[in-house]
Amino acid sequence: MSSNRSTESGKRRRFRRMLVDRSIDVVLLTFSLLMLLPLVFLVSNGFKTPQEMLAWPPTVIPANPTIDNFAAVLTQTPLLRWILNSILFAVMSTIAILATSSIAGYILAKFRYRSLNIIFALVLATAIVPFEVYMIPLYFQAQSLGILNSIWALLLGYLVMSFGIFLIRQNVIHSIPDELLEAARIDGAGELWIFFRIVLPLLRGALGALGVLAFFQAWTAFAWPMIVATNREAYTIEVGLALFQTGFTVDLGRLSAASALVLVPSITLFVILRRNFVQGVASTGLKE
Amino acid sequence: MATVEIRNVAKSYGPTDIIRDINVQVPDGAFVVLVGPSGCGKSTLLRMIAGLEDIDKGEISIGGRVINDVEPKHRDIAMVFQNYALYPHMTIAENMGFSLRLAKQSKAEIDQRVGEAARILGLTDYLQRFPKQLSGGQRQRVAMGRAIVRQPQVFLFDEPLSNLDAKLRVQMRGELKDMHARLKTTTIYVTHDQIEAMTMADLIVVMRDGVVEQTGAPLELYDHPANMFVGSFIGSPAMNFLTGTVRHDGGQQTFETASGFRLPVDAAVGALDGLTATLGIRPEHLQLAQTGQGLGGKIVTIEPTGSETFIVVQLGGDRISALLRQRLMASIGDEIWLMPQAGTTHLFDSATTRRLG
Repeated sequence: MSSNRSTESGKRRRFRRMLVDRSIDVVLLTFSLLMLLPLVFLVSNGFKTPQEMLAWPPTVIPANPTIDNFAAVLTQTPLLRWILNSILFAVMSTIAILATSSIAGYILAKFRYRSLNIIFALVLATAIVPFEVYMIPLYFQAQSLGILNSIWALLLGYLVMSFGIFLIRQNVIHSIPDELLEAARIDGAGELWIFFRIVLPLLRGALGALGVLAFFQAWTAFAWPMIVATNREAYTIEVGLALFQTGFTVDLGRLSAASALVLVPSITLFVILRRNFVQGVASTGLKE
Repeated sequence: MATVEIRNVAKSYGPTDIIRDINVQVPDGAFVVLVGPSGCGKSTLLRMIAGLEDIDKGEISIGGRVINDVEPKHRDIAMVFQNYALYPHMTIAENMGFSLRLAKQSKAEIDQRVGEAARILGLTDYLQRFPKQLSGGQRQRVAMGRAIVRQPQVFLFDEPLSNLDAKLRVQMRGELKDMHARLKTTTIYVTHDQIEAMTMADLIVVMRDGVVEQTGAPLELYDHPANMFVGSFIGSPAMNFLTGTVRHDGGQQTFETASGFRLPVDAAVGALDGLTATLGIRPEHLQLAQTGQGLGGKIVTIEPTGSETFIVVQLGGDRISALLRQRLMASIGDEIWLMPQAGTTHLFDSATTRRLG
């Protein structure tokens, strides 16, 4: 009798747990669909004719799919050039940010000089100043260096990321004990050796996360590329996309097609680095 | 192998003196343990020997060579840390061979020495694994292996067993001792655990507040503590202290406790009649006595462990503990009389806490 009752209550408990699990699934699914929907429409709009684009209700799968938009974007605008500019800019900026953040973050975390505290405070302080504030002085610098309309001008504003330095510093403090470095010093390793062979390999997760953040920061940068690139050939994709919205009209079809094309590299990168990114974010407690 | 000499060494962080004028001689091939409570400066002293902390004053020499300004890597030492400090991204073999690789030894030489150390420590099957795949005891062994392969003049150990559970600690204690017996390398070992110090050391250096309280062989410290601190720190359970007065009674010296009990004084001390002193009695040196003899009081705690019985007794204003070899048919609240074995008590000057006689 009692065993019957216990199996009965066990069943009920399992059922309740399953109900909770399913409800969580439904909620999460709903939100992810809501977040994905604009992307789906973006891609599908790229394949629509102008008439269908404006039709109501909107269709998810185009009735008469066309690749005219893509063809037009690829032939009539230097879209590939812009993508290339963006990739080059984002990759170089990422490399620069990874290098500066790892060196500065490691030194700020592990070397104890009083002056370093002041430097760290200054680094944090720069994070408070919006980029737009020093964008114009930086522009004049780029101009006096004679590097406007080049990748170097784009990079000028994206070599160092104070958040990156902070992220790496926290990660070093959190995951690399002093004893590890001391053991290496006693074992006969020099400081550079320690940095490259011990510190960097242990920061892989954090550097992966920072790399993705840095890449997207440069990839989605708009204001800075907009002011340092004045000829069409030097545009990044963000600036280029804005061209589709002129003062009086918005060419929705081409804009969608171009945007869909632009998604390809960023999604690819995210897929490649996804594990590093999730790991890095989890290990640093970083959330955005 | 080498002697290590620490001469008038001092260190301070800002206004805080961490190490104050310390002198220690570590004989060639000896196993020396630096022991003391947290914050006594023992780890700092070890790190100064290793070259991880600067020496503010004084000199440290290894094998006759003053190493104050020598880089850690050129001091010919190997150090084992409390948290093992294994490189997580390297295999056990790479961890152990790390220093040899840096010293540009040939691959064959590295493999041979790592293999030999792994064999000694029973790690041969784990060489291709990573540290996180090993248990605490195995990791500690890898850390020891990393020290062994360097064949240094001096081994430094900084509380290497503190992260292990009690059973493993006892086992590793034995292994460390074996290793020292085999290699005979001069070893300096830091711990806060006096049992580790007693069981492993040839020579113990007891430290407190940055000074050496006493240096000596384990049993020497146990039998003749130089002051009350050493008396209470060495030995477990801790020594009992009773304050009172030394009395001269017809040619015989006795000690009268504050609660009025009288005990014979063993120490060959001069005429100290009327001196306020402290008598130290180890719990294991107390034995049952007839009613009215020695110290009498009510039992407050009884803890039988099978082989022995630990009791705490209230003596007027004092409490003393005793570790009795026999089983006790008594219960809490019962009256009991205890007497120290002849020749086992220690007399200290209450004012200076120094040993008398």
